Amino acid sequence: MIEIPKRSEVIKKQKDEGKLIAAVFPIHYPKELLRAFNIHPVEVWGPPLVDTKTGNAHLQPYICSIVKCGLSFLLDEAIGTVDMVLVPHGCDSLQGLGSLLLDFIKPEKPVMVFYPPREKRSCDVGFLEKEIKRLYHQLCQLTGYSPDEERLLKEIEKEEALEESLLKLYENRKEVTLSSLEFYRLIRAREYLDADTLMNLLKSVPQKKQTPLTNSKPVILSGIVPEPMDILEKIDEMGAYVAADDFASCRRRVYGKGESRNPFTRMAERILNGPPDSTKGSSFDERIAFIESLIRRCSAKAVIFHNIKFCETEEFYHPILKRALKEMGVKTVEVEVDLNERMPQQALTRINALIESIE
Amino acid sequence: MKRLFVGIDAGSTAVKVVVIDSEKRVLYTLIEDTKPFIEEQTGSILKAIREKFSGCEFFVTATGYGAQLVKEADKRVTEISCHARGAFFATGKKGTVIDIGGQDSKVIVVGNDGQVLDFVMNDKCAAGTGRFLENIAWRLKLSFKEMEELALSSREEVSISSTCAVFAESEVISMLAKGIELKKIVKGIHRALVKRITAMLYSVSFFPPLILSGGVARNRAVQKMIEEETGEKIIVPENPQITGALGAALSGL
Amino acid sequence: MDTLKRIKYEVITKAAKLALKGNRILSERKFKTPKRWRTDILAPPLKIGLRTKELVTRHYLEGRYAEGAKPVAWVTSGAPVEILKALGFYVLYPENHAALCGARRTALELCLEAEKSGYSMDICSYARCDFGALISGKTPVGKLPKPDLLLCCTNICQTVLYWYRVLEKHFNVPLVVIDTPFLYREAEEHHIEYVKNQLDKLVEVAERVSGKKLKFERLKETLRLSKMAAELWHEVIQTGKNVPSPISVFDQFIHMAPIVEMRGDAETVDFYAEMLKELQERIEKGVSAVVKERRRLLWDNLPIWYKLKFLSEFLAERGIAIVTSTYTNAWGELAPMMDPQRPIESMAKTYLYPILNRGVGHKLKTMKEMIKDYSLNGAILHSDRSCKPYSVGQIDERNRLISELGVPALLLEADHNDPRAYAEEQVRTRLSAFAEMLES
Repeated sequence: MIEIPKRSEVIKKQKDEGKLIAAVFPIHYPKELLRAFNIHPVEVWGPPLVDTKTGNAHLQPYICSIVKCGLSFLLDEAIGTVDMVLVPHGCDSLQGLGSLLLDFIKPEKPVMVFYPPREKRSCDVGFLEKEIKRLYHQLCQLTGYSPDEERLLKEIEKEEALEESLLKLYENRKEVTLSSLEFYRLIRAREYLDADTLMNLLKSVPQKKQTPLTNSKPVILSGIVPEPMDILEKIDEMGAYVAADDFASCRRRVYGKGESRNPFTRMAERILNGPPDSTKGSSFDERIAFIESLIRRCSAKAVIFHNIKFCETEEFYHPILKRALKEMGVKTVEVEVDLNERMPQQALTRINALIESIE
Repeated sequence: MKRLFVGIDAGSTAVKVVVIDSEKRVLYTLIEDTKPFIEEQTGSILKAIREKFSGCEFFVTATGYGAQLVKEADKRVTEISCHARGAFFATGKKGTVIDIGGQDSKVIVVGNDGQVLDFVMNDKCAAGTGRFLENIAWRLKLSFKEMEELALSSREEVSISSTCAVFAESEVISMLAKGIELKKIVKGIHRALVKRITAMLYSVSFFPPLILSGGVARNRAVQKMIEEETGEKIIVPENPQITGALGAALSGL
Repeated sequence: MDTLKRIKYEVITKAAKLALKGNRILSERKFKTPKRWRTDILAPPLKIGLRTKELVTRHYLEGRYAEGAKPVAWVTSGAPVEILKALGFYVLYPENHAALCGARRTALELCLEAEKSGYSMDICSYARCDFGALISGKTPVGKLPKPDLLLCCTNICQTVLYWYRVLEKHFNVPLVVIDTPFLYREAEEHHIEYVKNQLDKLVEVAERVSGKKLKFERLKETLRLSKMAAELWHEVIQTGKNVPSPISVFDQFIHMAPIVEMRGDAETVDFYAEMLKELQERIEKGVSAVVKERRRLLWDNLPIWYKLKFLSEFLAERGIAIVTSTYTNAWGELAPMMDPQRPIESMAKTYLYPILNRGVGHKLKTMKEMIKDYSLNGAILHSDRSCKPYSVGQIDERNRLISELGVPALLLEADHNDPRAYAEEQVRTRLSAFAEMLES
């Protein structure tokens, strides 16, 4: 077992070190930029099982639980602890959330927004670079501090090094003696840990050539965020394990290295050149190629499309992705969950049936 | 000739009738289950009333989802106005009416003169209505009274997460299959309903007191939970189920 | 492009144009109110309706023969279409097509086709409807021409981006995305520059696809016509400031087709000039859209296409006129931003500024101004299950209209194209109660 520090402990420690805390909503943002300002980002992915009374007072029933739980959690619990809020634009609902916070709810802490573009032409890189600069200036005003290029590059390199290790961990998934649940607890610790701490944790991951996983069936999960996490445990119990993922919160944010020595261009390159993602509006060809590459690496025979109810962003892709996978001889199943659902029986039955059907 | 005012609330679960005189004294009340043919049902109820108070002149106001089917109605008013009027008559002051009906639930903000200042109703789905409890009670083969008692008797509760009434039902079934204690589930069901109702409440600018009306209002578990969720004291009229019919009768005056 | 097909296209569309026009003129001469029209509560239908029908029929008829004869583009409703028009593209609007299916009550059948192919019920009903048409080949307009180019502008929602990704995969033709960053506040320099760069890119791709070079003068002229039509449309809507109003929002929903799908055409300008004239005549004669107009309302969000008649009559019976909407207004309010002398630069800004690409605070401000300018007594906010960008924020908007402006406002739950998300009984109760509230 790897000892992963708890979110509350991390926040306390970072505060004690003089860092400001930013609550950050999904999905894409330059983490390194915040870190260079001595701001520690803690991401808000729901969390599951919160009382959504507050969210329901502002959002209609057809808005997904990530946004609804997130708003409830922010206003009911987190806002007192954090120093600022960042809402990147990821979809129409997150767009609405950012706008609601800025115009109507106006919480007592500053709210910032950020717009990553939906293509990766040269004009998109140019725009994103300027958008990151805009955020930079906003943070300068907020903190009274302006980190220089060297500091920015240092933080960028830290994230890049971490991602290199994460990628290695992904590639050695089969040799890693962690259950699916443990593995994803570790991956998702990035949502609130700084790069150095997570790097150290990764070093302690036990690996050996022959693991209990050798006899399990490899499956791939695709979606926004693996919640409820108990599903992962159940998958193991069903005789399979999550061999790779295409989650917006996990693998799709292992961006890879940028090339430029200009820190702003580099941050923009990283986000845009990362794995294809629904919230970035990636094309079908890119997404199919990416999932295919995951399949080839781990020889998975099945892909589980894990969808948060009302997430149109993901849903649009499913029929064509499923067809493409079918043509490759890969089985698929689509399940729908709500962050507030403790144990989605319907989803588990479907997953179980899928696992039973693969040799 | 003495003039009497009849209010008929033809709801999806029950038909409620109130007769008052011009001094607003309640002379007669009746509650019976809604039958498939509302037109005939309300017709015979009115006939009986005419016989009972023979020699009187009647003014009939109908409300509820079957209001159009009350053929003898002199006037038709929506449940929203009726519940506001009925509740205001019962409490005599401004406040917020929460009506949990079979088909629709509503939150009605009532002003100083008993007028409707604002209202919201549940979204299309049935999870925030009395139907939700009804379905599950039927599924568990329990009466309303038993549901209420079970919910009150349990300290713990499970959380029912499904936002949809149909899925909540299957969630309940899978919990039973796992051997979770019935009373915890029943309490959880009540909580799910109350959460939907309070979400509606928080989507408007309301002011206390909270006045419960409609059939579900008599359910003490629901009463208690609304108090817990809102921190507001609630008032339940003596006969909450007839609030709408009373309001209808009053609007004939 | 195929010369033979081009000739066929020219001959057929010219003939059809004459025939449709002749037919319309005949109909105008013997113009009569339809038998089932509720003249007791509603003004007779606008005569301009015959022209709307003519234009829309012709548009889809041209579409049938456009394939191979003309470059064809499928575009989103908020796309910078002037560039394509100036290059001679035939332009098809899938959103409009879906709305047409909704109004003709075929949307549900098409949605079901899409759902059968695996599309979730939770995705936009416009998209589902068009996917259904694509998969089954069924459409009330006969046939849709295959696109040579797809143009998707995100200024109305992010949904269209996914929708066009599907089209890109389906047709295997170039897709140009014009990404318009959402304006939480005003547009900044880098936003405008970004859109401008993308418009340049669009010119490049569209020139390649059409095999033509964009003539700058032609673009200026197209933008000038676009601007004129938008100005006239805005004037048409503003006749609603008159009490009683000569136009209802339902008239606007029906007659907005040309401003959405025929921007940049000279005939669209003539059309709205004619419509404006008819409305001004109504004002002079004291004709109001709702015969006994007692209360005037604002509509927010898309129409409920399959319930226009019901809603219009139900409200008119109660003396309620919905005079105007944030939705129809969106195609007129930006006219002043268009500058035909600086086409690309001004388009870059204009296409960033639709109400749907701006924050919820701005939307509330627009609603408040409209309520004041049009002397309205309240608002109905259609909470549209299919349109999250338009709907998120409505709960707070509604509450603020009540608390800050003191007017009643109703949130009405439905969907613009999927009748399954609409419950008539519930809608009746809510509207009746709202009407009672407006009277008190």
